[in-house]
Amino acid sequence: MSHKLTDGGQVMHVGTLARVEGEGAMHIEYRDGTVTDVQLRIYEPPRFYEAFLRGRAHTEPPDITARICGICPVAYQMSSCWAVEDACGVEVPEEIRLMRRLLYCGEWIESHALHVFLLHAPDFLGYDGAVEMAADHPDVVERGLRIKKAGNDLMDTVGGRSVHPVNVKVGGFYRYPTREELRAVRPRLQRALDEAVQTVKLVAGFEFPDLEQPYEYLALRAESGYPIEAGSVVTSSGGAFAVRDFTKHIEEFHVPHSNALHARLDGSPDPYVVGPLARYSLNADRLSDVAREAAREAGLGDTCRNPFRSIIVRAVELVEAYHEALRIIDGWTGSGPASVPVPPRAGEGFGASEAPRGVLFHRYVLDDEGIIRDAQIVPPTSQNQPSVEADLRTMVQSWSQLDDHALQHRCEQAIRNYDPCISCATHFLDLTVDRG
Amino acid sequence: MRGAPTGPVTSRPLVVGLGSPHRGDDAVGVVVARGVAACHVPGVDVVAHEDPTDLVELWSGHELAVVVDAVRSGSEPGTLTVLETGALGERLRESAWGRTGRGGTHAFGLASAVELARALRRLPDRVVLVGVEAASFDHGAPLSPAVAAAVPTAVDRVLAVVREASEGTTTPEGAARVPG
Repeated sequence: MSHKLTDGGQVMHVGTLARVEGEGAMHIEYRDGTVTDVQLRIYEPPRFYEAFLRGRAHTEPPDITARICGICPVAYQMSSCWAVEDACGVEVPEEIRLMRRLLYCGEWIESHALHVFLLHAPDFLGYDGAVEMAADHPDVVERGLRIKKAGNDLMDTVGGRSVHPVNVKVGGFYRYPTREELRAVRPRLQRALDEAVQTVKLVAGFEFPDLEQPYEYLALRAESGYPIEAGSVVTSSGGAFAVRDFTKHIEEFHVPHSNALHARLDGSPDPYVVGPLARYSLNADRLSDVAREAAREAGLGDTCRNPFRSIIVRAVELVEAYHEALRIIDGWTGSGPASVPVPPRAGEGFGASEAPRGVLFHRYVLDDEGIIRDAQIVPPTSQNQPSVEADLRTMVQSWSQLDDHALQHRCEQAIRNYDPCISCATHFLDLTVDRG
Repeated sequence: MRGAPTGPVTSRPLVVGLGSPHRGDDAVGVVVARGVAACHVPGVDVVAHEDPTDLVELWSGHELAVVVDAVRSGSEPGTLTVLETGALGERLRESAWGRTGRGGTHAFGLASAVELARALRRLPDRVVLVGVEAASFDHGAPLSPAVAAAVPTAVDRVLAVVREASEGTTTPEGAARVPG
């Protein structure tokens, strides 16, 4: 809450951010009516996953890193599989890549449906949360639950569980779902696709603050199709590089006020943005016809630079995920092996995929027995932290006349535009002890 | 009238063990559910689940749901807290329950699931929440000793609730099982 400073300044501090994953706080300082400092403070305890991975077998990252997040475990599994396979010089067949993409669709659906309907829509409809919204708009919430449930079913069928899938391994899957199992979920996916198209229309009717964000966008781009499970890196200023060069362009750094690392692109002091807005703006031409039509009807151009309109882009991506899931199921033959051997060898490997909230990068260094000697994980929320703070700095200035409650609500809404996954973003610096 | 309940109503009680099996005492709901299932009480559905958001779907159509979850209220680890709510009961105040079951759900906890289901008219008439006071939610940790020691008592408590509710019903189809 806000209080006056002895020098006449004013501080607003929100101790716990609601409706975001993990634990974070927000700190804003004014001087003479001007915003002088904005900090997104991620105080979720550091979780040391990168250190925890050292000394483990090269087969373990998909199961270990999936535990970083209950919302986007597939992203962790896929990025880690690509990185380990890259280090071991193994390329999986196209059929395994497609099954990975299908599982990933389930995760996008679960994550986006939860965010669009239960976390973000209440902001636009003027409610404190989904419970309050459900009393007046039960049809909206019921639709959200149905859309999410179809994603859960897909995760169950392909991944073995709807949370923290257990069917993924380095080299592929423990087993493929049968064609009958896939066919069984198809009708629910088809119904949910139709409801997702309606959802785009619904959220496009919300009122959006007028804000254009100038930052660089960064996303994956694949040889074909919308980027989900893989691709190489592109940026809105025309940059393009391979995933293996990620750390040559992206530098992580620590800030005193957060347990999560920040990141910068090519040394620039300006933020860059990953996630739905970046993905859409760099890949709108790759959407399926049905998703592109839904986007067009919703008034989206080829790019979208208003962070509040990310709810529309997420809804469009729900359409894309359902359409893509149906396409993969309809073409599925299940003829090849569910996995290929990944014998260990010494080397460094890199992997990236598009988590629902943006690019997730993994790097592993293996020894010749496949033991992990070094690991690096760059989650999307870390990359977006500077832009979240920059958005808040811009917006808070124009909202300075609002009372504390209203200002807190607007700020939380601005943070939720990013659907930050704070528990994923928490890292910590290596501990150095100087004993003189 | 808004959001009419969907599907048929069943008198089979539902037992839900809520929590992640891999985060220390967060697993206690799952462990208790397995204990209940091992008793093979006929006419009872038992599931283990991680995502409280799905409760709205899971318990739809049941007259009675018993949800077992880890809870943090400041009591001694292993302490049992039993709270009754449901469509016929009081609203569930945010409290220790509001802080449970948060893993992986963007803070959409058990309390939110209860009240969301109430708003959607999908809350069972009776929902009995059995909380076991947790000590630690560390990744990969086993149940802490005090919480593990409380499991048999929690299982007995759940069984007492479902047996009492089952008395008089005559459709004992199949034994309870925990999938997954």
